[in-house]
Amino acid sequence: MNTNLWLIRREFWENRAIWMIPAIFGALLILAALFGQVSIPTLSSHTETRDAGGIFLIVVGLMFYSVMAVYAGWYLLDCLYADRKDRSILFWKSLPISDVQSVLSKLAVALIVIPLVYFVAADVTSLIAAFILSVRARQSLGSALWQPDLWLQIQVLWVYTILVSAIWYLPVVGWLLAVSAWAKRAVILWSVLPALVLYLIERVFFGTHVIAQVLAKRLAGMAPVAYYASKDVFTHDGINATAGDGPGSVWQLIDIRGFFSSPDTWIGAAVGIALIVLAIQLRMRRSEI
Amino acid sequence: MAALIEARDLTKKYGAHLALDRANLTIEAGRIVGLIGPNGAGKTTALRAILGLTAYEGRLTVLGREPFRDRTALMSEASFIADVAVLPSWLKVDDAIDFVAGVHPRFRRERAVAFLAKTQVRGASRMRELSKGMKTQVHLALTMAIDAKLLVLDEPTLGLDILARRAFYDALVNDYMDESRTIVITTHQVEEVENLLTDIIFIDKGRIVLDTSLEDVASRFNAVAVSADRLDAARALKPFYERHILGKVVLYYENADTGQLGHFGELHTPSVADLFVAKLSGGAA
Repeated sequence: MNTNLWLIRREFWENRAIWMIPAIFGALLILAALFGQVSIPTLSSHTETRDAGGIFLIVVGLMFYSVMAVYAGWYLLDCLYADRKDRSILFWKSLPISDVQSVLSKLAVALIVIPLVYFVAADVTSLIAAFILSVRARQSLGSALWQPDLWLQIQVLWVYTILVSAIWYLPVVGWLLAVSAWAKRAVILWSVLPALVLYLIERVFFGTHVIAQVLAKRLAGMAPVAYYASKDVFTHDGINATAGDGPGSVWQLIDIRGFFSSPDTWIGAAVGIALIVLAIQLRMRRSEI
Repeated sequence: MAALIEARDLTKKYGAHLALDRANLTIEAGRIVGLIGPNGAGKTTALRAILGLTAYEGRLTVLGREPFRDRTALMSEASFIADVAVLPSWLKVDDAIDFVAGVHPRFRRERAVAFLAKTQVRGASRMRELSKGMKTQVHLALTMAIDAKLLVLDEPTLGLDILARRAFYDALVNDYMDESRTIVITTHQVEEVENLLTDIIFIDKGRIVLDTSLEDVASRFNAVAVSADRLDAARALKPFYERHILGKVVLYYENADTGQLGHFGELHTPSVADLFVAKLSGGAA
């Protein structure tokens, strides 16, 4: 096993929440499927059946995605701060591991490992919940939850979403890492304070909202760039547009070319990489607090 | 052979404060060096620079490398314990051994395991469950299992009771030290390490005040207790420090004529602690 794999393994030792939160969250959803009220009207048409299946899978996935986003943000903010706070950085730095390696290992955990754990957790939860729900509501749900091509499409959708999220949110990720490497205390406060101050300064002195717009676009603007906005997943135009035609409809939802040709994607990535480089530089110079 | 550590005009500023002020020092291979100074003298900053943990001005080579630029490579040949309380609380002893074995090319797992087998430490324990003394043993086991040319210890026994401190130094000297290794150590308890050191470096206000071997100390420094009536004659030989004890005055000399000094009483070599106090509070007497 090489050093990079050991560094990833180390993150699992330190942050058991990486797998415990999705495990507990999944267990709660399964409990809800077991004991919650199931009141689903009978699905009368083929389209309605397709939609019910799609909505089920996407809602479960979105719930996991939301929890993951919050946890990954917290992880990034904490990962270069915690070992400075408890001084264990002096132990890690006594080993032949470069600061580039250690920062990149945390980046890989936040952008690849954590999303994969949640991806698997969402799938396992969906499978178990689908089984429970089809037993409990056989009449109404029928075969809605067991459409292999739909499952396959959802896998593609989430793999794509993990990938574009990692690129789109790179400036946020880089910023959190830099704060984590730099702050002496109150990482959460430092992660939002500069943006807030800049926003207020701009508003008071210039009366404009450029910074607020840039931030809002970065935080909330991934969907219009990465997906076809006109195709709402919850209507027939969405994931089920070609219902009956088998797999392929997901390709009408994800806008690969649009995402990778948007200047916003690449400007963001460049800013993100610059912030990650900054975090590495800070990591080299800062030891315990 | 080139020196193991060589610093020329080593300078480190924190804002307007000079933590290291053009410090020069040389440490040869195979020595056990005590880096001694009062609080805030620059000891820790000097060690941080040597270990590549901080940027600095001036010239510094450690094992032929520039520490800050080359920390990763340096750490495969050097190791350090920056006081004992820094093993992360969530880490299990067995995992710690696995991890170091996985990332360190010069780590000998069987040595760490053998060392820990002599202690009460259990492999399944997390660091937070261990006493300070046990954590020290784990850290020592990890560090001593590394075939390092240079070991740096910064206040290694801070917060330990006397039994654990004694055990720490015994293990260091008996199980670890040999002629292929060099140890640099800082501590407040000078008396405790005095008889294992071969060299001493005094540091004060960011500058090196004294850098010498203990054999040199014996030939270079003398102390003599003088009775009050002969004080003026003794002072004429230019002591650099005086200490008043129980009606007598102890005078400290550097490079003085021992033949002349002998007339005033029995000469002795000052202890490192005495020499430290004399050097730092005496100035030019």
